[in-house]
Amino acid sequence: MASDPDAALMVAFQGGDESAFRGLFEKHGRAMVAFCHHFVRDAARAEDLAQEVFLKLHRSAARYQPTARFRTFLYRIASNACLNELRRGEYGARRAVESGDDCAGGRGEPIDPDSLAGSGPNPEEIALAAALGRAVEELLARLPEKQRAAFVLGRFEGLSYEEIAEVLGTTIPAVKSLVHRATVAAAAALAGYTAEGKGAFS
Amino acid sequence: MTHPVGSLTAYVDGALELAEQAEVESHLAQCATCRTERDRLAGAIALLARLPPTPAPSATFEQRFYARLAAQKEEARQRRGFLDRIAWRWLAPGLAGVAATVGVVLYTGEQRRADEAFLAEHIDLFESYEAVASVGAVESAEDVQVVAHLDDLGAKP
Repeated sequence: MASDPDAALMVAFQGGDESAFRGLFEKHGRAMVAFCHHFVRDAARAEDLAQEVFLKLHRSAARYQPTARFRTFLYRIASNACLNELRRGEYGARRAVESGDDCAGGRGEPIDPDSLAGSGPNPEEIALAAALGRAVEELLARLPEKQRAAFVLGRFEGLSYEEIAEVLGTTIPAVKSLVHRATVAAAAALAGYTAEGKGAFS
Repeated sequence: MTHPVGSLTAYVDGALELAEQAEVESHLAQCATCRTERDRLAGAIALLARLPPTPAPSATFEQRFYARLAAQKEEARQRRGFLDRIAWRWLAPGLAGVAATVGVVLYTGEQRRADEAFLAEHIDLFESYEAVASVGAVESAEDVQVVAHLDDLGAKP
């Protein structure tokens, strides 16, 4: 499909072009690490998981239908990998949240203002962003896994409700409900950071 | 209409069908409580834009990935050797749901790619130990291992 360059790369890869696969890895590798990081707190584990997604992508090439959007194919693999990881580590993750463990890497690292584009945020902005980042991570860890997946796919990866439904193998009304409940939880968790803190229906 | 609270997030996300969007909009015009809730949800969503930028992967992320990929390709090469030893290609007529459409596939070099596409499409069936064993094709411990790991077979040499 002319409108989906990634689909063209996948088709080329199916035809035996390894450089096409490398192109896909270069394009989506970094975003995939960030995606996985929303499911596992440890930065190194997020990288391992992202690598597993691409390993699965490499060996699942035959299953890709050229008329399908590459993005939904990739995120389906990625979501399954992350949800499986959650189920494997469920006990450990719950213990970490209860004991108030700080994030090992990623969001917890200080940000160098000189490395940011544009005029750059002031120190207050940076501190707020870091605190927000921690609050969001704790929120994600508390969400039921399907809400978490729907929320991450929608809010961080920019997928539409229809795409989320395709990725999670469910209906659009179900996605609407998952996203709503997760967003209500987010509004409660982030109440201290916004002007509209108090809920009308709480 | 009772308060359409459950639709407020979808409304903020612009994901409602036009008819429902119009209904919610006219409700919001008359309901301060729902407007407050809508603002609360929209505020939380807007806040997410202020999260710290995603840190870059570590310096060795890419290199470690390609090392793992090389290992995976090597494993696939070895497993393909096992594939030749199982007469799975003769099982097709005996497996429920597949019999009518597949028939017997003669295994030649040129057929390998078609076989692998077929395998990828019907992977669920072949990964079922019970299905394969019931046709008497599993004869050794190595055959069992291949059945368990069929989904790891790469399509590329």
